[in-house]
Amino acid sequence: MKRRSFLKGTLATGAAAVAVNAGLLTPNTVLAAWNEKAFAAKTVDDAITGTYGSAGTTDSGDIKLKAPAIAENGAVTPVTIDASAIDGVESISILASKNPQPMVCEYSFAGAAKGYVSTRIKMGETMNVIAVVKAGGKLLKAQQEVKVTIGGCGG
Amino acid sequence: MSIKIRMRGKSKGGVAEIKALIKHPMETGIRMNKKTGKPYPAKYIDMVEVSVNGTKAVDAQWSGAVSANPYMAVKVAANKGDEVSVSLKDNQGDKGTASIKVK
Repeated sequence: MKRRSFLKGTLATGAAAVAVNAGLLTPNTVLAAWNEKAFAAKTVDDAITGTYGSAGTTDSGDIKLKAPAIAENGAVTPVTIDASAIDGVESISILASKNPQPMVCEYSFAGAAKGYVSTRIKMGETMNVIAVVKAGGKLLKAQQEVKVTIGGCGG
Repeated sequence: MSIKIRMRGKSKGGVAEIKALIKHPMETGIRMNKKTGKPYPAKYIDMVEVSVNGTKAVDAQWSGAVSANPYMAVKVAANKGDEVSVSLKDNQGDKGTASIKVK
Protein backbone atom coordinates (compact mmCIF):
# COMPACT_ATOMS: atom_id res chain seq x y z
CA MET A 1 0.00 0.00 0.00
CA LYS A 2 2.82 2.35 0.77
CA ARG A 3 4.16 1.96 -2.71
CA ARG A 4 0.77 2.74 -4.17
CA SER A 5 0.33 5.98 -2.24
CA PHE A 6 3.89 6.97 -3.11
CA LEU A 7 3.15 6.52 -6.80
CA LYS A 8 -0.06 8.51 -6.50
CA GLY A 9 1.81 11.35 -4.84
CA THR A 10 4.52 11.56 -7.50
CA LEU A 11 1.95 11.40 -10.28
CA ALA A 12 0.01 14.29 -8.77
CA THR A 13 3.06 16.54 -8.44
CA GLY A 14 4.07 15.54 -11.97
CA ALA A 15 0.73 16.68 -13.30
CA ALA A 16 1.04 20.00 -11.49
CA ALA A 17 4.48 20.56 -13.00
CA VAL A 18 3.11 19.84 -16.48
CA ALA A 19 0.29 22.32 -15.88
CA VAL A 20 2.80 24.99 -14.93
CA ASN A 21 4.91 24.28 -18.01
CA ALA A 22 1.89 24.48 -20.25
CA GLY A 23 1.10 27.92 -18.82
CA LEU A 24 -2.26 26.78 -17.49
CA LEU A 25 -1.55 28.29 -14.11
CA THR A 26 -0.82 31.99 -13.97
CA PRO A 27 2.34 33.13 -12.16
CA ASN A 28 0.09 34.31 -9.34
CA THR A 29 -0.98 30.84 -8.39
CA VAL A 30 2.56 29.52 -8.50
CA LEU A 31 4.05 31.24 -5.50
CA ALA A 32 7.00 33.47 -6.32
CA ALA A 33 8.28 31.43 -9.24
CA TRP A 34 10.00 33.25 -12.05
CA ASN A 35 8.11 32.52 -15.27
CA GLU A 36 10.96 31.07 -17.28
CA LYS A 37 8.75 29.96 -20.16
CA ALA A 38 7.50 33.47 -20.86
CA PHE A 39 10.89 35.13 -20.55
CA ALA A 40 12.75 32.52 -22.66
CA ALA A 41 10.19 32.73 -25.48
CA LYS A 42 11.62 33.96 -28.78
CA THR A 43 8.42 35.40 -30.28
CA VAL A 44 5.83 37.85 -28.98
CA ASP A 45 2.98 35.34 -29.26
CA ASP A 46 4.91 32.67 -27.34
CA ALA A 47 5.80 35.18 -24.64
CA ILE A 48 2.18 36.28 -24.20
CA THR A 49 1.02 32.66 -24.17
CA GLY A 50 3.69 31.84 -21.60
CA THR A 51 2.44 34.60 -19.33
CA TYR A 52 -1.31 34.49 -19.77
CA GLY A 53 -1.99 31.07 -21.30
CA SER A 54 -3.31 32.56 -24.54
CA ALA A 55 -2.03 34.91 -27.22
CA GLY A 56 -5.47 36.22 -28.21
CA THR A 57 -5.36 39.95 -27.49
CA THR A 58 -7.71 42.79 -28.40
CA ASP A 59 -6.47 46.26 -29.27
CA SER A 60 -7.69 48.78 -26.74
CA GLY A 61 -7.74 52.56 -26.82
CA ASP A 62 -8.06 52.71 -23.04
CA ILE A 63 -4.44 51.76 -22.52
CA LYS A 64 -2.21 54.80 -22.54
CA LEU A 65 1.20 53.72 -23.76
CA LYS A 66 3.78 56.45 -23.57
CA ALA A 67 7.09 55.85 -25.29
CA PRO A 68 9.32 58.13 -27.36
CA ALA A 69 8.89 58.13 -31.16
CA ILE A 70 12.66 58.21 -31.46
CA ALA A 71 14.93 56.83 -28.75
CA GLU A 72 18.44 58.23 -28.97
CA ASN A 73 19.77 55.50 -26.72
CA GLY A 74 17.93 52.18 -26.95
CA ALA A 75 19.47 50.99 -23.69
CA VAL A 76 17.27 53.36 -21.71
CA THR A 77 13.91 53.73 -23.43
CA PRO A 78 11.38 55.22 -21.03
CA VAL A 79 8.02 53.46 -21.22
CA THR A 80 4.90 54.36 -19.26
CA ILE A 81 1.70 52.35 -19.33
CA ASP A 82 -1.40 53.87 -17.78
CA ALA A 83 -4.36 51.50 -17.72
CA SER A 84 -6.13 53.20 -14.82
CA ALA A 85 -9.07 53.95 -17.15
CA ILE A 86 -9.78 50.21 -17.14
CA ASP A 87 -11.47 48.57 -14.16
CA GLY A 88 -9.96 45.57 -12.44
CA VAL A 89 -6.49 45.50 -13.97
CA GLU A 90 -4.83 42.27 -12.87
CA SER A 91 -1.59 42.44 -14.77
CA ILE A 92 0.47 44.54 -17.16
CA SER A 93 3.27 43.22 -19.35
CA ILE A 94 5.76 45.12 -21.46
CA LEU A 95 7.20 43.47 -24.57
CA ALA A 96 9.73 44.62 -27.14
CA SER A 97 8.82 42.88 -30.39
CA LYS A 98 12.27 42.34 -31.92
CA ASN A 99 14.38 41.77 -28.83
CA PRO A 100 15.96 38.28 -28.66
CA GLN A 101 13.54 37.56 -25.82
CA PRO A 102 10.57 39.90 -26.30
CA MET A 103 9.14 39.68 -22.76
CA VAL A 104 10.65 42.55 -20.77
CA CYS A 105 8.67 42.60 -17.55
CA GLU A 106 5.36 41.59 -16.05
CA TYR A 107 3.56 43.29 -13.16
CA SER A 108 0.76 41.62 -11.22
CA PHE A 109 -1.53 43.80 -9.16
CA ALA A 110 -3.49 43.18 -6.01
CA GLY A 111 -5.26 45.21 -3.36
CA ALA A 112 -3.98 48.75 -3.22
CA ALA A 113 -2.30 48.81 -6.64
CA LYS A 114 -3.54 50.86 -9.60
CA GLY A 115 -2.99 49.86 -13.21
CA TYR A 116 0.03 52.03 -13.82
CA VAL A 117 3.65 51.21 -14.54
CA SER A 118 6.57 53.35 -15.62
CA THR A 119 10.02 51.98 -16.28
CA ARG A 120 12.98 52.04 -18.64
CA ILE A 121 13.75 49.19 -21.02
CA LYS A 122 16.48 48.08 -23.41
CA MET A 123 15.77 47.92 -27.14
CA GLY A 124 18.24 46.56 -29.68
CA GLU A 125 16.80 48.17 -32.82
CA THR A 126 13.76 49.97 -34.17
CA MET A 127 10.70 47.97 -33.12
CA ASN A 128 7.30 48.02 -31.51
CA VAL A 129 6.80 48.37 -27.79
CA ILE A 130 3.77 46.30 -26.83
CA ALA A 131 1.74 46.64 -23.67
CA VAL A 132 -0.53 43.78 -22.70
CA VAL A 133 -3.08 44.44 -19.97
CA LYS A 134 -5.12 41.72 -18.33
CA ALA A 135 -8.37 43.02 -16.89
CA GLY A 136 -11.51 41.11 -16.01
CA GLY A 137 -10.20 37.97 -17.69
CA LYS A 138 -9.60 39.75 -21.01
CA LEU A 139 -6.28 40.47 -22.67
CA LEU A 140 -5.98 43.99 -24.06
CA LYS A 141 -3.12 45.33 -26.13
CA ALA A 142 -1.59 48.62 -27.23
CA GLN A 143 1.56 49.13 -29.22
CA GLN A 144 3.79 51.88 -30.52
CA GLU A 145 6.83 51.94 -32.77
CA VAL A 146 10.03 53.32 -31.33
CA LYS A 147 12.86 54.24 -33.66
CA VAL A 148 16.17 53.38 -32.07
CA THR A 149 19.28 55.16 -33.28
CA ILE A 150 21.77 53.36 -31.02
CA GLY A 151 21.03 49.79 -30.00
CA GLY A 152 20.73 48.84 -26.37
CA CYS A 153 22.14 45.32 -26.55
CA GLY A 154 25.57 46.28 -27.92
CA GLY A 155 28.46 43.85 -27.67
CA MET B 1 25.73 42.13 -1.30
CA SER B 2 22.59 44.04 -0.83
CA ILE B 3 21.10 46.02 -3.67
CA LYS B 4 20.68 49.74 -3.11
CA ILE B 5 17.25 51.26 -3.65
CA ARG B 6 16.23 54.93 -3.47
CA MET B 7 12.53 55.57 -3.06
CA ARG B 8 10.11 58.44 -3.15
CA GLY B 9 6.35 58.53 -2.78
CA LYS B 10 3.79 61.29 -2.69
CA SER B 11 0.07 60.88 -2.18
CA LYS B 12 -2.47 62.96 -4.06
CA GLY B 13 -6.17 62.32 -3.61
CA GLY B 14 -5.58 58.94 -1.98
CA VAL B 15 -3.33 57.63 -4.78
CA ALA B 16 0.40 57.64 -4.31
CA GLU B 17 2.94 57.37 -7.08
CA ILE B 18 5.84 55.33 -5.76
CA LYS B 19 9.12 55.84 -7.58
CA ALA B 20 12.15 53.67 -7.04
CA LEU B 21 15.64 53.97 -8.44
CA ILE B 22 17.72 50.84 -8.09
CA LYS B 23 21.47 50.48 -8.47
CA HIS B 24 22.08 47.31 -10.46
CA PRO B 25 24.07 46.34 -13.61
CA MET B 26 21.16 44.35 -15.18
CA GLU B 27 23.50 42.19 -17.24
CA THR B 28 21.54 40.15 -19.82
CA GLY B 29 24.01 37.33 -20.34
CA ILE B 30 24.14 38.17 -24.06
CA ARG B 31 26.61 41.10 -24.04
CA MET B 32 30.07 39.99 -25.14
CA ASN B 33 33.32 40.69 -23.35
CA LYS B 34 35.47 41.56 -26.36
CA LYS B 35 38.74 40.67 -24.62
CA THR B 36 37.80 37.11 -23.75
CA GLY B 37 35.15 36.49 -26.45
CA LYS B 38 32.80 35.18 -23.79
CA PRO B 39 29.56 36.80 -22.67
CA TYR B 40 29.39 38.54 -19.31
CA PRO B 41 27.43 36.25 -16.97
CA ALA B 42 23.75 37.13 -16.57
CA LYS B 43 22.96 39.18 -13.49
CA TYR B 44 19.60 40.90 -13.42
CA ILE B 45 16.78 41.58 -10.98
CA ASP B 46 14.05 39.01 -11.58
CA MET B 47 11.52 39.53 -8.77
CA VAL B 48 10.19 42.80 -7.38
CA GLU B 49 7.50 43.32 -4.78
CA VAL B 50 5.77 46.48 -3.59
CA SER B 51 3.84 46.40 -0.33
CA VAL B 52 1.60 48.99 1.31
CA ASN B 53 1.48 48.78 5.11
CA GLY B 54 2.79 45.23 4.89
CA THR B 55 0.23 44.01 2.34
CA LYS B 56 1.49 43.03 -1.08
CA ALA B 57 0.18 45.30 -3.85
CA VAL B 58 2.47 44.76 -6.84
CA ASP B 59 4.34 41.61 -7.75
CA ALA B 60 6.63 42.05 -10.73
CA GLN B 61 8.87 39.76 -12.73
CA TRP B 62 11.68 41.28 -14.74
CA SER B 63 14.05 40.07 -17.40
CA GLY B 64 17.49 41.37 -18.34
CA ALA B 65 15.79 43.70 -20.83
CA VAL B 66 14.99 46.20 -18.10
CA SER B 67 17.60 48.97 -18.30
CA ALA B 68 20.66 49.07 -16.09
CA ASN B 69 20.12 50.98 -12.84
CA PRO B 70 16.36 50.43 -13.21
CA TYR B 71 13.75 53.07 -12.60
CA MET B 72 10.30 51.90 -11.64
CA ALA B 73 7.15 53.80 -10.84
CA VAL B 74 3.82 52.32 -9.78
CA LYS B 75 0.66 53.81 -8.33
CA VAL B 76 -1.00 52.49 -5.21
CA ALA B 77 -3.86 53.58 -3.00
CA ALA B 78 -2.06 55.15 -0.03
CA ASN B 79 -2.38 58.24 2.08
CA LYS B 80 0.19 60.41 3.80
CA GLY B 81 2.02 58.46 6.47
CA ASP B 82 1.39 55.01 5.00
CA GLU B 83 4.42 52.81 4.78
CA VAL B 84 5.37 51.55 1.34
CA SER B 85 8.18 49.09 0.87
CA VAL B 86 9.97 47.65 -2.14
CA SER B 87 11.81 44.36 -1.94
CA LEU B 88 13.62 42.62 -4.76
CA LYS B 89 16.11 39.93 -5.62
CA ASP B 90 18.29 39.14 -8.62
CA ASN B 91 18.97 35.86 -10.40
CA GLN B 92 22.17 35.35 -8.40
CA GLY B 93 20.35 35.64 -5.08
CA ASP B 94 21.33 39.18 -4.11
CA LYS B 95 18.53 41.01 -2.34
CA GLY B 96 17.48 44.52 -1.50
CA THR B 97 14.70 46.20 0.44
CA ALA B 98 13.72 49.78 1.16
CA SER B 99 10.72 51.42 2.71
CA ILE B 100 9.42 54.94 3.07
CA LYS B 101 6.54 56.81 4.58
CA VAL B 102 4.36 58.36 1.89
CA LYS B 103 4.47 62.16 1.89
